[in-house]
Amino acid sequence: MPRRKLVMIGLPGTRLDNGQGPLRWEKWRPTVALGQHEDLRIDRFELLHLPKHQELAEHLQDDLRLVSPETEVRLHAVHYGDPWDFEGVYEALHTFARAYPFDTDHEDYLVHITTGTHVAQICMFLLTEARFFPARLLQASPPERSQHVGPGDYRIIDLDLSRYDRLASRFAQDTQEARSFLKAGIETRNERFNRLIEQIERVAIASRAPILLTGPTGAGKTHLARRIFELKKSRRQVSGDYVEVNCATLRGDAAMSALFGHRKGAFTGAISDRPGLLRAADKGLLFLDEIGELGLDEQAMLLRAIESGVFLPVGSDKEVHSEFQLIAGTNRDLRAEVVKGRFREDLLARIDLWTFELPGLRDRLEDIEPNLRYELDHYARKNDSLVTFNKEARHRFIKRATAPDAAWRGNFRDLNAAITRMATLAQGGRITPEVVDEEFERLQRAWRRDADTPTAQADALLVRLIGQVAADHLDRFDRVQLADVITVCRASNTLSDAGRALFAVSRTQKTSSNDADRLRKYLSRFNILWESIKSLE
Amino acid sequence: MLKIDGAMGEGGGQVLRTSLTLSLVTGTPFEIEGIRANRSRPGLLRQHLTAVEAAAAVGGAVVEGAELRSSSLRFAPKGLRAGEYHFAVGTAGSAGLVFQTVMPALLKASGPSRLVLEGGTHNPSAPPFEFLASAYAPLVRRLGGGLELELERPGFYPAGGGRFVARITPPAGGELRPLALLERGGEVEEREACALVAHLPRSIGEREARKLVDLLGWPGGEVRVEEAESSAGPGNCVWIRAKWPYVTEVFSGFGEKGVKAEDVAKAAVDAYRHYLSVDAPVGVHMTDQLMLLLALAGAGRFRSLPPSLHARTNAEVISRFLPVDVRFEAEEGPGRVWSVRVVSREA
Repeated sequence: MPRRKLVMIGLPGTRLDNGQGPLRWEKWRPTVALGQHEDLRIDRFELLHLPKHQELAEHLQDDLRLVSPETEVRLHAVHYGDPWDFEGVYEALHTFARAYPFDTDHEDYLVHITTGTHVAQICMFLLTEARFFPARLLQASPPERSQHVGPGDYRIIDLDLSRYDRLASRFAQDTQEARSFLKAGIETRNERFNRLIEQIERVAIASRAPILLTGPTGAGKTHLARRIFELKKSRRQVSGDYVEVNCATLRGDAAMSALFGHRKGAFTGAISDRPGLLRAADKGLLFLDEIGELGLDEQAMLLRAIESGVFLPVGSDKEVHSEFQLIAGTNRDLRAEVVKGRFREDLLARIDLWTFELPGLRDRLEDIEPNLRYELDHYARKNDSLVTFNKEARHRFIKRATAPDAAWRGNFRDLNAAITRMATLAQGGRITPEVVDEEFERLQRAWRRDADTPTAQADALLVRLIGQVAADHLDRFDRVQLADVITVCRASNTLSDAGRALFAVSRTQKTSSNDADRLRKYLSRFNILWESIKSLE
Repeated sequence: MLKIDGAMGEGGGQVLRTSLTLSLVTGTPFEIEGIRANRSRPGLLRQHLTAVEAAAAVGGAVVEGAELRSSSLRFAPKGLRAGEYHFAVGTAGSAGLVFQTVMPALLKASGPSRLVLEGGTHNPSAPPFEFLASAYAPLVRRLGGGLELELERPGFYPAGGGRFVARITPPAGGELRPLALLERGGEVEEREACALVAHLPRSIGEREARKLVDLLGWPGGEVRVEEAESSAGPGNCVWIRAKWPYVTEVFSGFGEKGVKAEDVAKAAVDAYRHYLSVDAPVGVHMTDQLMLLLALAGAGRFRSLPPSLHARTNAEVISRFLPVDVRFEAEEGPGRVWSVRVVSREA
């Protein structure tokens, strides 16, 4: 039975593998070292090099033949312009992999990932992970100092066995970096979010189907839609423009016209032809935010446009063609909207094939720090002034930002605003703990004000009545109860009415009761008078 | 099928190599387990695999288990074939060891052979080429075999790439003659010491030469520096050759990073002095090889330095394949001389 052949696939390291003269043998050159292991016999070495590194590759070929006469060394020129350009390198290596006559019945393959640019290493990893290279990975390391000569060490990693913890985590990180394109380079740590981004990346590249992004306001839907567009554009999957509109801003006739365009004279004010947003997004990407706000007529037209690529501009009898990728955003539960008859079931079915729910900031507290860095950089670029936290301030910010009372109701929008404000107020470009504290006072106030839940509204009422400081001195237990009591009082005409409402259950079991008195006593514990509640504006 | 325990004695690569040689010579198939069991990285490494493949080529053998790190191997030769062979050893491993594995067998083949061997020729883990050419080959010729060795270029660790050619002619009549090698035969007839430097500053060789002159007390004309331009990579070796009427021996020291040139010279001189301290003609390295050749001849005797575990292990392997015993006896007296006798069990 013929022995299975071992084939190594690798790139020369222009720095590590370089070496001239006899002294090169005293240097650890990873590619040559592969031929020097007593327990690794390579039958064939496929050395992939850039045309400009031909000389280096030939040199390595010669040296490999010396140390490893058992190895046939083949050189392959691969063409990619910039060795740090992820797209180009991946493309070139992918092309090589697709064309290579892998013979897995008779040969075993190893992909050497110690050499090549960082980008090339990641690409080799990804191509192996995706089985374009049906190979195991080999990572080499130099000899320890004490040995000073020798081929060093190597590890073979079989990705199929998933036993590649340390290396994998390094590469997982690298892969994340590649995927961080979608995250605008923010090294987010929230695992759920990162998985989500990974999926979105795959879907965005593999599919032209509509994508639905859900999640609370400020979770980053708009931002992400734009990044998806840029990703698709970089992969030449779209050639048109990015068009974005918030459907909440489209009302009435204007909505139809804005989306689908109109003919001159279609209605009063239509003084010229208007192509409409769908047309503007031809061969590009259309992001419809808050799609739940769209009227039923527009929904019908949009459905047709998605399904057939054609629609009718207002006042026109000629259909217009547009081929666009649709991304829809919503913070509403569209299924509930369907039940209420406010959203078309068929349109929902069409757009929720790929639904991704973006978590709010409260669900990604570990991402506050990386986003903080990003926002500061962003601010620095935009305003051309560098702003930094001092250590204590950063610590304070993270602590307060991740505390249970940090509501982050506006999510990343809040974070962005907070950084902008602090950066603006920072004296000499240093954000101090005082600036942080002031900012959180502002945020807390805003969160209470913006609150739209009954509980939050009640709390806001309480704060108005007794003041922020007094409210902050209440236990949560008392605060919630008191807020609700005050809300009931506000809605009641008399103290007795309010008492009856508040003690509606217990009063039925008592022979006599004085609910008004009980309520007055309760309020007085907090120094609150009935009159002051009623006189509150 | 003969079973060999790879862990016997010193439990290294020599058990395998000797087994291969004797299997080729006798046509006896064998199975070895626990290959290199006593080594830190047990099993077959590349240089052993090359030796197995070389033996398989020479003997047309059917081989099972010839895989890296394999701890067992089955080897069944179908018949020796004289001819032209080319064997290359990777990792600058010793080409000499591969040569010594197949050479004795080719002495038993039906015609002359020519071997081209590539790899390390000056490798610290085996005697250097000069040992093979000046010490080993003359003994083979004394036994009736024809052996000419020619170095084309040296190969040092780590680059390797050395190359030498061996021309082997089986003895007239097909059988090696027994030999008794009991004395050096008098005074030194010829001697030289050489500091071989390849792609390293000549001053290293000069320092070594000075040290050699200093330690040996030889006139400058017998000590030289040689620059090996043809070597593929850098390297340094010091060897001392001394020829007596009945025997020639070669002693060596190897340059390494972090080892002073003077110490390299001293290592060779120490080996030489150790040999001289015992009044016996056969040195440590030669013992292994000579007992094998005598076993092929059917009988013989020599006097040597105290045998190593290596030698005793080799003797044990020999007795498994051939109807001979190798007997070691320390001679009476303070001289630490040992008598090694190869005797037939059949007689």
